[in-house]
Amino acid sequence: MGILDADNEETSPDSSNLVISKLTCSLVGQAQTIKIMPGTLARQVYGEEETVEEFRCNYGLNCEYRDKISIGELKVAGVDTNGEVRMVELSDHRFFIATLFLPQLCSSSDKPHRLIVAYLKAAMATPPFKRF
Amino acid sequence: MNRPLRIGIIGDFEPSYPSHIATNEALNHAARALSLTLDPSWLPTLSLFDMPPSDDDSETLLKQFDGLWCAPGSPYKSMEGALKAIRFAREHDRPFVGT
Repeated sequence: MGILDADNEETSPDSSNLVISKLTCSLVGQAQTIKIMPGTLARQVYGEEETVEEFRCNYGLNCEYRDKISIGELKVAGVDTNGEVRMVELSDHRFFIATLFLPQLCSSSDKPHRLIVAYLKAAMATPPFKRF
Repeated sequence: MNRPLRIGIIGDFEPSYPSHIATNEALNHAARALSLTLDPSWLPTLSLFDMPPSDDDSETLLKQFDGLWCAPGSPYKSMEGALKAIRFAREHDRPFVGT
C-alpha cells in the first residue's frame, strides 16, 4: 500500500491518507479468492484466472479512488469476489507488483509461490552492479 | 547465473512476526526451485530514511540490489524511508513486490 501513497504524495498530497482507508471487515487471518485481470503481468505470472491467497491486514484501497489509480501506469491486477482491489501493478515497469495479500504465507518448499519465483527470475535479469 | 542474487527487503525485521519469517522462507523456497543462491538483506526503514538525497553516490546502497521487496509490517518506523526505497525500485527498473 506504500506504493499508492507514494503516487499520491506526488500528485495529490492532501488526499494521500484517504486513498487507503480502513476496511469494513478486517482481513486478518482470512483467505480470499482473487480474480486476476487479463492482460496483466500478474496474469502471465500466475497463468490462471484465479488464485486463493491469505491476508493479514485491516486497510485497503478506498474504492472511491479505484478509477483514479487505473489512469496512468498503475493498473488493477487482481480483485476479490466483490470487486475490491487486492493487487496492482505498474504497466511501464518490467516487474512491479503490489498485493494486499501475503503470497509468502502460501509458499512451501514443495510448492514455492509462482509470484515469488517470477520475481526472482526478473531479478536475475537485473544487470550486475559493479562495486569497486 | 552463478553470482548470489541480492534482494533488499524493505522493512523493520521482527523475529516474532510470522509474516517476516514467512518472507525469508518463501524467498528461499523460490530460490531453491530456481537453483539460485540468494543474498537477502533486510533494510531498516530508518536507515533508508537516513540515506542522503538522491544522487548517484548516495543511491549506491540500493543500486547493489537486483530486486527490492517491501515486507508487511506497516506502520513502519519510517514510512518515508520505505517510500524512498520503493520509489528507487520504480525509477531504477528493479523488480519489486510490495506485500
